[in-house]
Amino acid sequence: MAAVTEAPPLAPATPKKKPPRKRGRLTPYWLLLPGILWLVVFFALPMIYQASTSVQTGSLEQGYKVTWHFATYWDALAQYWPQFVRSVLYAAAATLLCLVLGYPLAYLIAFRAGRWRNLIMILVIAPFFTSFLIRTLAWKTILADNGPVVGALGTLHVLDVTNWLGWTSGDRVLATPLAVVCGLTYNFLPFMILPLYTSLERIDPRLHEAAGDLYARPWTTFRKVTFPLSMPGVVSGTLLTFIPAAGDYVNADLLGSTDTRMVGNVIQTQFLRILDYPTAAALSFILMAAILAMVTLYIRKSGTEDLV
Amino acid sequence: MAFVNWLKRNLVVIAGLLTLGYLLLPNVIVTVFSFNKPKGRFNYEWQQFSLDAWKQPCGVADMCGSLSISLQIAIWATIGATVLGTMIAFALVRYRFRARGAVNSLIFLPMAMPEVVMAASLLTLFLNMGAQLGFWTILIAHIMFCLSFVVTAVKARVMSMDPRLEQAAQDLYAGPFQTFVRVTLPIAAPGIAAGALLAFALSFDDFIITNFNAGSTVTFPMFVWGSAQRGTPVQINVIGTTMFIVAVLFVLASMALGNRRNRQKA
Amino acid sequence: MTTDNSGDVRLSGISKTYGSFTAVHPLDLTVPQGSFFALLGASGCGKTTTLRMIAGLEEPSSGSVHLGDQDVTHLPPYKRPVNTVFQSYALFPHLDIFENVAFGLRRRGIKSVKKQVEDMLELVQLGEQARKKPHQLSGGQQQRVAVARALINHPKVLLLDEPLGALDLKLRRQMQLELKRIQTEVGITFIHVTHDQEEAMTMADTVAVMNAGRVEQLGAPTDLYENPQTTFVANFLGTSNLIEAEVDSRNGDEIILKAAGAKLTLPGARCSAPATAGGKVLVGVRPEKVSLTHADDAGEVPEGRNRITGRIADSSFIGVSTQYVIDSPVCPEFEVYAQNIDRDARLTPGAEVVLHWNPAHTFGLDAAQDIDAGVETVEADEGVAA
Repeated sequence: MAAVTEAPPLAPATPKKKPPRKRGRLTPYWLLLPGILWLVVFFALPMIYQASTSVQTGSLEQGYKVTWHFATYWDALAQYWPQFVRSVLYAAAATLLCLVLGYPLAYLIAFRAGRWRNLIMILVIAPFFTSFLIRTLAWKTILADNGPVVGALGTLHVLDVTNWLGWTSGDRVLATPLAVVCGLTYNFLPFMILPLYTSLERIDPRLHEAAGDLYARPWTTFRKVTFPLSMPGVVSGTLLTFIPAAGDYVNADLLGSTDTRMVGNVIQTQFLRILDYPTAAALSFILMAAILAMVTLYIRKSGTEDLV
Repeated sequence: MAFVNWLKRNLVVIAGLLTLGYLLLPNVIVTVFSFNKPKGRFNYEWQQFSLDAWKQPCGVADMCGSLSISLQIAIWATIGATVLGTMIAFALVRYRFRARGAVNSLIFLPMAMPEVVMAASLLTLFLNMGAQLGFWTILIAHIMFCLSFVVTAVKARVMSMDPRLEQAAQDLYAGPFQTFVRVTLPIAAPGIAAGALLAFALSFDDFIITNFNAGSTVTFPMFVWGSAQRGTPVQINVIGTTMFIVAVLFVLASMALGNRRNRQKA
Repeated sequence: MTTDNSGDVRLSGISKTYGSFTAVHPLDLTVPQGSFFALLGASGCGKTTTLRMIAGLEEPSSGSVHLGDQDVTHLPPYKRPVNTVFQSYALFPHLDIFENVAFGLRRRGIKSVKKQVEDMLELVQLGEQARKKPHQLSGGQQQRVAVARALINHPKVLLLDEPLGALDLKLRRQMQLELKRIQTEVGITFIHVTHDQEEAMTMADTVAVMNAGRVEQLGAPTDLYENPQTTFVANFLGTSNLIEAEVDSRNGDEIILKAAGAKLTLPGARCSAPATAGGKVLVGVRPEKVSLTHADDAGEVPEGRNRITGRIADSSFIGVSTQYVIDSPVCPEFEVYAQNIDRDARLTPGAEVVLHWNPAHTFGLDAAQDIDAGVETVEADEGVAA
């Protein structure tokens, strides 16, 4: 009874014989109105303001006017393309690391944790409740120049390799790209683990047994059954990691140096210190467009459009 | 050989636990360094054990004030976003209306937008309107970005709810309002609670959007940010540690409560 | 029978359309007070929609619903003296059994519900479970809670939407008797929607067989079974052997038919199609009415019985009976169910046989219909109905 059980919305019933469900028609709009209005005024409208600001010229003292000065975009790109490239590279590296690190943990919680499942879940989520800035600052201690981590990396000659790759410089990890990527990875790891866990948890463990029964070795089972079925989690996890990482400036600021500045740092400085609004707006607009384009492409390619 | 086999079988467990360690290491450091007595202004190197900071958690100028502002904003933002978001979620699941696609996009986009973009554009709006930056602008911003997350959480719950439950209530003489209060709301409650909790955590911990739209108001994350340039008092670690413990206890308590209720039922 | 007719359900011309899809065609139906009425049909036949229109959960596109003399067509569900036992029960997961059962009373502002609820739980034998949550009960217990929750309100009519669909076979049989007992005890009109023909026939006084949004036939279970009026009913209710035959002549009350050389007799009263000489008629007979005799003993078949010949294609022994499939010139898959009383060892696949039955068990149907309508595809898409 497909047509029947697709339950029609519950309309608040009207008394007596009035044409029924008239009042019900407006209910969704009343429910939507305040929240949607909020998003339109404080999310969509600002985007338009920003677009307009990006093509204005003028100065703080004399005020700004829309002059369709698109050159701002070219100037911004010409001047700050390294930061853009860096943002994408760092965010991509952090996303990949999150996937590699997060997958085993999500898998562990979903299939192997047994009665420890809840405890591990809590331990994954609980750090959220300590301000992320405090936790990021802790990395300054962990990666300190004379700390055990740097010492160990130096003794194992890992630093020589990373120096050669340009990820670190001198005998330091702090204030290098490695530290920034490490911080980004750390900060957004839970955003990777949670969606991964959600989609892994939905997989019937009997599928693993069935795959084993049909002559698949554990690794083949993972490649042919588990991983494909966890794709929705992989897709939303990578998005939830990449997007905020690309716009982040906190890690680059606290753990990096002037050589690791990302586009977020530039926008922040332009907006809050230099007060060059058009350039800042243009940069922000480019970032938004770039990310939306990348995300759309990615979602198309991975074929999971039911994320919303 | 036996060891290699064991290793093979438990590789994923070991890797997972290492990741867990990576996730928790900073919290350990934060906790340990809350007992530090640093030399100089920065609390990055271990010097000696001390309880000073725990004895005087508000011993730093402005820190507890900023904490209180953050709490107030988080509470109001949670209430605002939860109410508005729940309404939207119900509309999305339970009704048919025009422009559903546009509404869905408007909900999704804030989650797919780097914070710095939202922060910058919202600031342009406030500057253009000549708004006074401060508590209210922060609150507005927080409700804005928490809203989508609440909608997502509540929607998931309401969607998994059997519409026959509400029909059964109507069949048993509950009018629309009674149905909502007695059946719909209690069943949707876990989703709403999850959304509210998420909103609280997001708001309380937000830095980027707040930093752009705060004017001279200082929230706790902004205080921490500032102290990273000026000098990090040990009290920051005390607060961080307390937050972690409170969060864990809160979750454990709610789980114990759930367990007990389950056992009662059995 | 009481003279009170406040529990009558009268549907006049009600229909339901969703866009261009018609779930229920205009339908007239009267269910008398105190009867156990079943709406039987495959999934998608419109039976649940009909039920929901009586409950007020669905607004009819046309027509009206009367309870006794009251027009309730536009009354919302919470103002109708009608209660429903929902498919998969729809017990409130956040309330315990007691509160589930008390829900309707409380909504009507009744303060002291304890006694009533306890009595009701006693009636359905769940007194011990009052403080448990629904998910802690078994399927059968949940089902009884759903019944109690509805019955406690003393509705004029109790509507049951596939109430036993989620139970396993054994429990289902048990609950069928249980529901029947409760209905006799409380004397309320029950309207029961099901796709299970055995369930409908066991429980109901009157069964309406629905197909594609229309009532095909309405009557007592035995009437429907013994004298189906359409091929759908003939095939959907049990199994029928349908033979295409040509009307040869009429002989008083009897119609004489020809089918592939065989001469068959059909009582005129049992033919729902116009039978003019030379016209076509579908002749039907139920498998258990037919006797099987080995061709060697053909002479022993008494005179006056309808008889055809064939060869056994398949036989399966199922304990109480043996089911044969006969390849006959008139019908390639003629089914015969024979009681296992005196088994003839010669009746094995390949054996030539004579099939014969009392002409009084023959029924005639309009040959213009689809001969396979209602043939069992029901169990397969049972899940879709949920």
